[in-house]
Amino acid sequence: MERLPRMPVLELRDVHKRFGSGETAVSAVRAASFALEAGEFAATIGPSGCGKSTLLHLCGAMDRPTRGAVRLAGRSLAALDDDALTRLRRRHVGFVFQFFNLLPTLTVAENIALPLLLAGSRASEADERARRTAARVGLSARTGHYPAQISGGEAQRAAIARAVIHRPALLIADEPTGNLDSANGARVLELLRELNTRIGTAVLLATHDDRVAASAGRVIEMRDGAVVRDAAAGPQGSAG
Amino acid sequence: MNLFRWFILRPLRADLARTGVTMAGIAVGIAVVIAIRLANTSSVLGFETALNAMSGRTSLEITGAGGGVAEERLAELGWLREYGQASPVVEGDVLLAPPGAADAGAELVRLLGVDILRDRPFRDYPLVDAAAPGEITTRRFLALLTDPQAVILTRELADRRRLEVGSAVDLVSGDRRASLIVKGLLGREGPAEVLDGNFVLMDIAAAQLALDRLGRVDRVDVRLADGLDAAAARQAIAERLPPGLAVQRPERRGAQVEKMLAAFHFNLTALSYIALLVGMFLVYNTVSVGVITRRAEIGMLRTVGAPRRVVLALFLGEAAGLALVGCAAGAPLGWLLAQAAVRMTASTVSTFWVAAAAHVPPLTAGDVAAAFAAGVPLALVAAVVPAREAARITPVGALRDEGELLLRRRLPKRYPLGAAALLAAGAWCATRPAVDGLPVFGLLAVLAVVFAAALCVPPALYGLQRLRGPRRWLRVEGELACTNLGGAIRRLSISVAALMVSLAMMVAIAVMVGSFRETVAYWVGQSLQADLFVAAGRGSPAGARQTVSADVEAALVAHEGVLAVDAFRSVDLSYRDALIVVGAGRFDVLLEHGNLLFKAPADGRRALAAARGRPAVVVSESFALRFGAAVGDVVTLRTARGEQPFRVNGVYYDYSTDRGLVVMDEATFAAHYGERRPSGLAAYLAPGADPGRVRRDVLAALGPERPVFINTNAALRQNVLRVFDSTFAITRALEAIAICVSLFGVAATLLALALERRRPLAMLRLLGAERRRLRRMVVIEALLLGVVSLGIGVAAGVLISLILIYVINVQSFGWTIQFHLPLAFLLRAALLVLAGAALAGLYPARLAGRFHLAERGADA
Repeated sequence: MERLPRMPVLELRDVHKRFGSGETAVSAVRAASFALEAGEFAATIGPSGCGKSTLLHLCGAMDRPTRGAVRLAGRSLAALDDDALTRLRRRHVGFVFQFFNLLPTLTVAENIALPLLLAGSRASEADERARRTAARVGLSARTGHYPAQISGGEAQRAAIARAVIHRPALLIADEPTGNLDSANGARVLELLRELNTRIGTAVLLATHDDRVAASAGRVIEMRDGAVVRDAAAGPQGSAG
Repeated sequence: MNLFRWFILRPLRADLARTGVTMAGIAVGIAVVIAIRLANTSSVLGFETALNAMSGRTSLEITGAGGGVAEERLAELGWLREYGQASPVVEGDVLLAPPGAADAGAELVRLLGVDILRDRPFRDYPLVDAAAPGEITTRRFLALLTDPQAVILTRELADRRRLEVGSAVDLVSGDRRASLIVKGLLGREGPAEVLDGNFVLMDIAAAQLALDRLGRVDRVDVRLADGLDAAAARQAIAERLPPGLAVQRPERRGAQVEKMLAAFHFNLTALSYIALLVGMFLVYNTVSVGVITRRAEIGMLRTVGAPRRVVLALFLGEAAGLALVGCAAGAPLGWLLAQAAVRMTASTVSTFWVAAAAHVPPLTAGDVAAAFAAGVPLALVAAVVPAREAARITPVGALRDEGELLLRRRLPKRYPLGAAALLAAGAWCATRPAVDGLPVFGLLAVLAVVFAAALCVPPALYGLQRLRGPRRWLRVEGELACTNLGGAIRRLSISVAALMVSLAMMVAIAVMVGSFRETVAYWVGQSLQADLFVAAGRGSPAGARQTVSADVEAALVAHEGVLAVDAFRSVDLSYRDALIVVGAGRFDVLLEHGNLLFKAPADGRRALAAARGRPAVVVSESFALRFGAAVGDVVTLRTARGEQPFRVNGVYYDYSTDRGLVVMDEATFAAHYGERRPSGLAAYLAPGADPGRVRRDVLAALGPERPVFINTNAALRQNVLRVFDSTFAITRALEAIAICVSLFGVAATLLALALERRRPLAMLRLLGAERRRLRRMVVIEALLLGVVSLGIGVAAGVLISLILIYVINVQSFGWTIQFHLPLAFLLRAALLVLAGAALAGLYPARLAGRFHLAERGADA
């Protein structure tokens, strides 16, 4: 499998995000700065409400910072309008969530093919690639099933297949194992690692689970909206 | 109660727009039902009230066959003194106009002509103002009225028209104009209280002159002596009356009117319930949207200990609250609508005196109670499904935002089976006869088709999932729209069914009215062969009782361009407890120049020729159907010479009245009902004669002051269709309301769906769908719903129209209508509905595009 060249996929410089105004304003992210290179596997950790999700929204081009710069795949988010942000996400970002978020009315194969269809691929080509990707995550036998007909572990694997079918530069995973038992959680994590290695997609995941964090090559720890530690997994590393 | 305030009332207040629309929808639904109810009762009750006021203390009335009682026969009735007092009466509708003026500004009034000496025991005439004020004695009254130019008006009428004692007024009846002087004014009591004061009193002789009824009174009122049993006296008088005269209680006329209008009212009432269904549908939608958008709150309520029944009660309470306000507003609104309805339907009721008497009674507690009794239970029924859905929400399910989007992978068999069973039942009902003259089974057949069509909605939505071709054509948005709809069949079915039912009713009525119009246009084209038509009175429904003077006829006949003149005259007659019209024409002229469309026998002309100069008649189709008369049968009619048999020689098509027409040759009519002036003339012109010129010549010969109305053939045809169209205006208005409200319902359902799908929609945005594609997707969904509603609605509508045309119409009115599909109208309506559906999708589409990406689910 061809690997993407090692360059910063994501770059945050002094990023702030505030919600509301005046006395009731809340700073969800404060002065966050870091970069993520292609093929990196990073975990964001921290207590609930520390700003992990908001940080992920900013990294995934779902939201714009109040201050500071976010560059994704070489482009600054500040300069992009809503449609351009959408196209950027469509081309360069994949998303995996705790509750899978598969569309209930589409089959597994259709769910996986959706990013390609939205990008304008032909239906037959999208379908063929969806089946190949489904096979890669071990869902060959489930492509014709609807989300309600498969298990939680299978649903998350389908969500991962959907997130990587277009070979994004960055995969955002928000508590991807949070809704799974430990065996399925481990399998999903293994799958993310494998795709990360094989395709070279940079992975940024948020988690409460220390074991998940420990399996990442880099840990970004947040507290009260600020990045308090950015280090290779384990005690070594330095704040960034 | 606190819970209700916090959980139901506050959100209703917060979303005033939707709350307001729902309440308005219920109010309109209730208003339409109340309006039709009031309008129906008013036309009968109003007539009865007028009848009672005019009858005064009359116990019995003696009438002649059709045209009243000839004066020379009054002498034969001297023995009536043995039973009490008797008073001959002339009564008619005339136009009250400013002296010498054209008819512009004239208004219709009821004229009563009495012999004041004999009439005072019967009716009260409270003179409030007279040329010489003082005690009103019979002698003074006599002095006022014996002047042949004297007329007494009501104070109300005089005030309205700025008249006073001494003012000159004209009374116009047919083509005659009488110049009179106001001699006194009446207070609001007795006959003067009817018809909003549109009542004038004259001496009987002057009234006969004004109404062109010389030598004839309309009836003789009898006031029985105290202590006499009315039934026994009636029996005794009936036995002694000479042939051709009959005795009856005054109320009987009311009963006949009621019977005449029963089918008309029945159909109108059935139609009004559609509006109520629409109101129910709105309640369903509002409560549904509430349940969907507040799933998490409901879950929280359940978590903190609210049992299912409390949740159920809360949402049922919401429906009841909406209905209470809607009904409270709907009842007075209904009263206002009734006023409009009475005016609009007046021309449908072919007998003027009913229409004129129709006066909407004030809203009673009974009407208001009826509004609540209909509205509140129906609203509760409408809310049961969403309220039960709310009660079924589990705390965990709500917190996880488990929606109701479920995919139907297999079509439950009960839908197609149920639809087939209902259609079979409908077909059976359509073959049943009328019940007591009312098309009860016909309406049941319509209901069966409506419900069968509703059961076809889920299979059609299910079919959308399977459609591959059009989905591809609509690209990924189309694919998503189809699967989205397929996943929400349960939620969508009721909305789509409601729109479908509205469309079906619209199509059914459009097809029925269109077919009727085509049939009438064809009939008019075939039957109206004469070049000029002379009427007594400008299209006034009272025309039938007004007459065309001899000099008018002479002027017409004298014109060189006129080849032949037919004259039509008619009398209203009781026949088997119903009112029919017995008419006469010149069969010779009709045979040579005219044309009647015969239903039977095949050779109608021969049948007509055979009826000349014999006791034989041709009858209209409605008469034949209503009374089961066929060619060769004998009908027995009341005549001036007593009951006489007439052979039915033919049955012809007629759409001018549903009361039943019996037509005989002029000579036969004169022999049985006496000589009388015709109410209309039809002139056939020589080849090449210009109808416009002949019309102008005749009018010029008669002089400008003669109120004669001459229509050319083209103008009359146009007028017939204009009256036809105005008759059905109210029907179309009702349908338009139902469709608008249903489209609003589709919008509300799509909104509910959009809210329910926040998470998948946000997910689509994350996956790279721009806002405009989500908007397109929702608009495509709306259009697809429109297509499904339209497809089933048109099919069901055509089926219903067949029932309306071949069952309900025949049983109600006795008319044959040729089926005709108004394709241009249907195409226009289809495009409008699709445009409306797309429009209905716009707001939900905007909302769908706006969901914040961060709403995709769990927080990390």
